[in-house]
Amino acid sequence: MRILVIEDDETLLASLVQQLGDAGFGVEQAADGREGLYFATEYPVDLAIVDLGLPEMNGLDVIRQTREAGKTYPILILTARDRWQDKVDGLAAGADDYVVKPFHIEEVLARVNALLRRSGGWASSVLTAGPVSLDTNRQELRVNDQLIDLTGYEYRIVEHLMMRAGEVISKTELTDRLYDQDFERDSNVIEVFIGRLRKKMDPDNSIKPIETLRGRGYRFALERTGGD
Amino acid sequence: MSSLSSRLLLAVSLLLLVFFGATIVVLDSAFREAGEQAERDILDGQLITLLAAADPNEAGELVMPLVMPEPRLGAIGSGLYAELRENGDSTVWRSDSTLGLDIPFGAPPPSGPPVFSYLTLDDGTPLMSMAISVDWELANGDLRPYSFYVAESLDSFNAQLAAFRRQLFSWFAAVALIMLLSISLVMRYVLSPLRQIEDEISEIEDGRRESLTEGLPTELDRVARNMNLLIGSERGRSERYRQTLDNLAHSLKTPLAAIRAVLSDRPAGVDSDKIEQQIERMNDIVRYQLRKPAALVSDGFGVGLVDIPNQLDRLVDGLRKVYKDKSPSIDVSVAPNAAFRGDTGDFLELAGNLIDNACKWCESRVRVTVSVPDGGGMELVVADDGPGIPEEAAELLLKRGMRLDESAPGHGIGLAVVKDIAAAQGGELAIGSADLGGAEIRVSVPLG
Repeated sequence: MRILVIEDDETLLASLVQQLGDAGFGVEQAADGREGLYFATEYPVDLAIVDLGLPEMNGLDVIRQTREAGKTYPILILTARDRWQDKVDGLAAGADDYVVKPFHIEEVLARVNALLRRSGGWASSVLTAGPVSLDTNRQELRVNDQLIDLTGYEYRIVEHLMMRAGEVISKTELTDRLYDQDFERDSNVIEVFIGRLRKKMDPDNSIKPIETLRGRGYRFALERTGGD
Repeated sequence: MSSLSSRLLLAVSLLLLVFFGATIVVLDSAFREAGEQAERDILDGQLITLLAAADPNEAGELVMPLVMPEPRLGAIGSGLYAELRENGDSTVWRSDSTLGLDIPFGAPPPSGPPVFSYLTLDDGTPLMSMAISVDWELANGDLRPYSFYVAESLDSFNAQLAAFRRQLFSWFAAVALIMLLSISLVMRYVLSPLRQIEDEISEIEDGRRESLTEGLPTELDRVARNMNLLIGSERGRSERYRQTLDNLAHSLKTPLAAIRAVLSDRPAGVDSDKIEQQIERMNDIVRYQLRKPAALVSDGFGVGLVDIPNQLDRLVDGLRKVYKDKSPSIDVSVAPNAAFRGDTGDFLELAGNLIDNACKWCESRVRVTVSVPDGGGMELVVADDGPGIPEEAAELLLKRGMRLDESAPGHGIGLAVVKDIAAAQGGELAIGSADLGGAEIRVSVPLG
């Protein structure tokens, strides 16, 4: 998943990019409103984080024009002006949530995850599909109420697949989710992780949660039963 | 006596009253004196007629003819009476008109010119009387003292006077009325620019107008121009002041966020928690101190009414997005007459903090009611079905910056801001419990 961060404070921007990257997101960055709008409308983006006080073009206009360009992905506002007027203006311009500066980076990550989950069509923070349930707040996966012990990489993959349950996710996209852009890529690693996940979630091969579509990618195959 | 036109009308009415009153008094007394003078002349003439009619008989006594030359003296109760006395007290003759009446002619006047006096009959009828004493020289050369009296009833004179007065009053009343009407018309015309300014000022107060129309009569045009300059600079000043505060807050918070972001990497050799505490303190100071209600910044001139339903809609739409996971049902009802005079930002600050808190704490329901308190304005009540706020905590919460629960940041500062804004507008904030089960925050703001 690709996240666009538009923030003019260099330290803050660098830190956000770093942390979002560590959390497994692909990150695009822009330091002013005009550049940000270009990325927002021309690049494949799954979520944008927009500071309201930007040089060149203010954040509200960036949001408004992104929406006018037909982009529907979630937008999170970062604002130092926490007057309600500004929050309401931002939300009315097309943003979906706000975080007030100075924020904890964890809070931004939590909001980003919640927004992505919602845009994947999940209304609750616990994603359930048949016997499988994923608590995105606690980062816990359960199958038939049994807690499954997962590594960080495994969790990210199952979360990504479940968030967009029913959609085909390419290997490249999953690789992006696991590594920073510049990381050396090895598509076999994904196959290994998927294999391990299948073994952990479905040891007797009865529920078949993850489907392989040869040459196209993977799909979380269980019918959604929670949310939406 | 607050308006110019009522002052003018009162002054003009008083002047008219004094002027017309004096005129009426003068005219009345002139008419009266002229009438009395005419009456005296008539009585004088009657006396001469009497003197001419009197004739001594063979016995040398004065007698009056049976038929008087003045027919009214012969008609009973005609209002004209005459009497002749000898030696001052013995009545020699009375006119037939005195029949049945006792005319109280007084003692005979000293000889000389006729003497005029007022008399009153027993039944109250006023009379004017004229008397003359003469020494009548008889044929034999004797002088005998006789007194001639005439009197005329004033009834008809008084009737004339009353008719004159009636006419006088009704004419003057009509003239005064016409004058007052035309003066008030003139005043309307002359004062119409003032009225226009007055209307426009109240429109500016209500926020329906930006500035005063210029191009008024010369005396007022400068006032209007200067007023517009004043309004403009006042608006600009409070706007700039708020901008400055906003920019200051903005430029302080972004570095704070950056420090926090750096700390989140847990750099070695740094006590992150201590720094974190200081960041939190600075943040509280910035949030609270740099968010002065606009009502404190501007003196409220030219501040309009907030479109409450529209702003609440925008706010609640926004909050529905933010609380999409929880999806609380937010019921909003706004009384049509509810009014908040002030800055839209202040209104959103009031409603935003309260509804946000309610959404944060509620189980599933939030109710927002805006009603009209006695005397106008608005009362905003936000209720939720959350855990509520215990009474002792409510008091602490209202103190600025105090936090009830660190895990839900902003509750305390939000309420302190709400309290400040309400107070700046002369309003009140009360914390209670809702029939929904949770907290109920009530803010009433009178119409400033």
